[in-house]
Amino acid sequence: MTATTRVDKVELIPAGGSGWTVGLSNLLRKEFGQWWTTKLWWIQTLIWLLLLNGVTTVIMLDSSGMAPADLVREAVQTFFLVAATAVGIAIVLTLQGSIVGERELGTAAWVVSKPVSRTAFVVSKLIAHFTGFAITAILIPSAVFLVTAQFLLTEPVAYGPFAMGMAVTALNVLFYVVLTLTLGCMFKSRGPIAGIGITLVLMGQFFKGMLPETIVLATPWLLGDVAASFAVQQPPAFDRMVPMIVAGVEIVILALVGIWRFNREEF
Amino acid sequence: MCDRGSVWNIEPMESVFTETGLEELRPAEVREGSGRDISGPSVIHATGLSKRFGSVDALTGLDLNVPQHSIVGFLGPNGAGKTTAIKLLLGLSRPTSGQATLFGLDAVKDSTAIRTRVGYLAQDPRFYTHLTARETLEFTAKFFFKGPKSAIQDRIEETLDLVGLSDKADRPTKGFSGGERQRLGIAQAQVNHPDLLVLDEPAAALDPLGRRDVLKIMERLREHTTIFYSTHILDDVQRVSDHVVILHQGRKVADATTSQLLDGGCTYQLDLRGDTSTAKSTLQGQPWVSEVVLSSTESGDSMIVTVTDQRAGDALLLRSILSDDALTVTNFGRKQHNLEDVFLQLVEGQET
Repeated sequence: MTATTRVDKVELIPAGGSGWTVGLSNLLRKEFGQWWTTKLWWIQTLIWLLLLNGVTTVIMLDSSGMAPADLVREAVQTFFLVAATAVGIAIVLTLQGSIVGERELGTAAWVVSKPVSRTAFVVSKLIAHFTGFAITAILIPSAVFLVTAQFLLTEPVAYGPFAMGMAVTALNVLFYVVLTLTLGCMFKSRGPIAGIGITLVLMGQFFKGMLPETIVLATPWLLGDVAASFAVQQPPAFDRMVPMIVAGVEIVILALVGIWRFNREEF
Repeated sequence: MCDRGSVWNIEPMESVFTETGLEELRPAEVREGSGRDISGPSVIHATGLSKRFGSVDALTGLDLNVPQHSIVGFLGPNGAGKTTAIKLLLGLSRPTSGQATLFGLDAVKDSTAIRTRVGYLAQDPRFYTHLTARETLEFTAKFFFKGPKSAIQDRIEETLDLVGLSDKADRPTKGFSGGERQRLGIAQAQVNHPDLLVLDEPAAALDPLGRRDVLKIMERLREHTTIFYSTHILDDVQRVSDHVVILHQGRKVADATTSQLLDGGCTYQLDLRGDTSTAKSTLQGQPWVSEVVLSSTESGDSMIVTVTDQRAGDALLLRSILSDDALTVTNFGRKQHNLEDVFLQLVEGQET
């Protein structure tokens, strides 16, 4: 008797699927479950509300004689610049064990022993973690920021440009999610993942003003500035399309490298 | 003719196959083992499967055939290469050379398709600790099939019941003992009703009762599936396996049905009552007898007779003994080896 025959008896049919999507929906359900059915989502939300909205609310409350338009600009810029750095670090710290931890624990070997593509294993994490951070670290704090600004600022925040800033910040989030997962596919321990990821974020903070522009443009360091420039409607000194395109290309390359590496992994 | 050593105690094992005729053990013509007809198409077929880690040969030239609906025990000491071989078969690792097919599909290229028909229990099964046993099985089941929620739940209930975890179904696996995790491991391997169950040390973490239950489950499942399992618990292998493959230092040292492996071949054991001296000297005078060893037991004497010709032994031995009116034969038969003896002799033979 084959498995299929017996499955049919109880009205079950083979899950099917082909190519890299085999097992993806089941893995996505599990990964989203880890975000939204555990305390992870509200802990993340709380952190970002305290950090991003806490800092910007203090700025809104302490105008120090600034003109209303300048105060809006100051609050919006701070929101996006802090988000770019802090969310990058948080992503690296939170996701450093996402793949390495599963490999160490043995759950990765268990999952890939089922009919599931290894690409789906990586992609499901990428989608779920990007969505999780995008909602808890961008969407919710942004909504709270706009509500707070409505009450505390006399000058309105332009919603359209602010949304552009959010989109660029989401690109920044995607970059660090992909980077961390790819490093997780390449290294066997958390140390190099956290080291490389956090060093990259902090180098942007400390050295982006000192290094040649071509190098800086090849990094995600300017995405915070691009996001802020869209939101406050002030073009920066550089072409803001360049960091976005470079980040997009790097995201694709990193994702492909990570998937390729994980497909070659031996368990 | 009969050469006792050729039954299983010869190295390299290729010689064993030649001298005992075991080279004929191919899928369509597998002999009956453990009282079961295990002939049938090959579920696993491997040729020259090898794996090298750096300078270490973890597995060397493994040839393997696992017939459908058989229970094949994959034996070997720790580090023999059992887990490596299993991982190669399941596509979790890539071979350095050689190839394997499962259900006729290539283990490397078609591993996803193969895994739809396989249930696998890892040596030290690990699950997501925040999920309950039921959720773990649901997660596993959804890789294999879809359908009404009630039908999936029915399947999960049936599987939980099979491994005796129904009362712990809604506990997170974080608090599970080694034995409970092992049971859940068997459950998740079985939840898709696989055509092939691959179990890596299924009874290793279990107490004697748990071990007994696992063997019972395996016996029950054999009706529907082929079971390929690794172990170093020889007693279990002797109890449930139709076929035994022994691995040592990455090389296969034996591959035979359990009955063939345990068959004493040219050695007979007789339990006798009465004066055995005449019978002993008569037998020693026979050209087809090579050795007669007599020992006393509480109920009489025990005679171990080794012959040079098995056909002569079968035809003439008992007749010679019975011709002596002073003797009563209370037991007669070919001596059965113990798997532990066979295993130790093979493994130690390889080492020397």
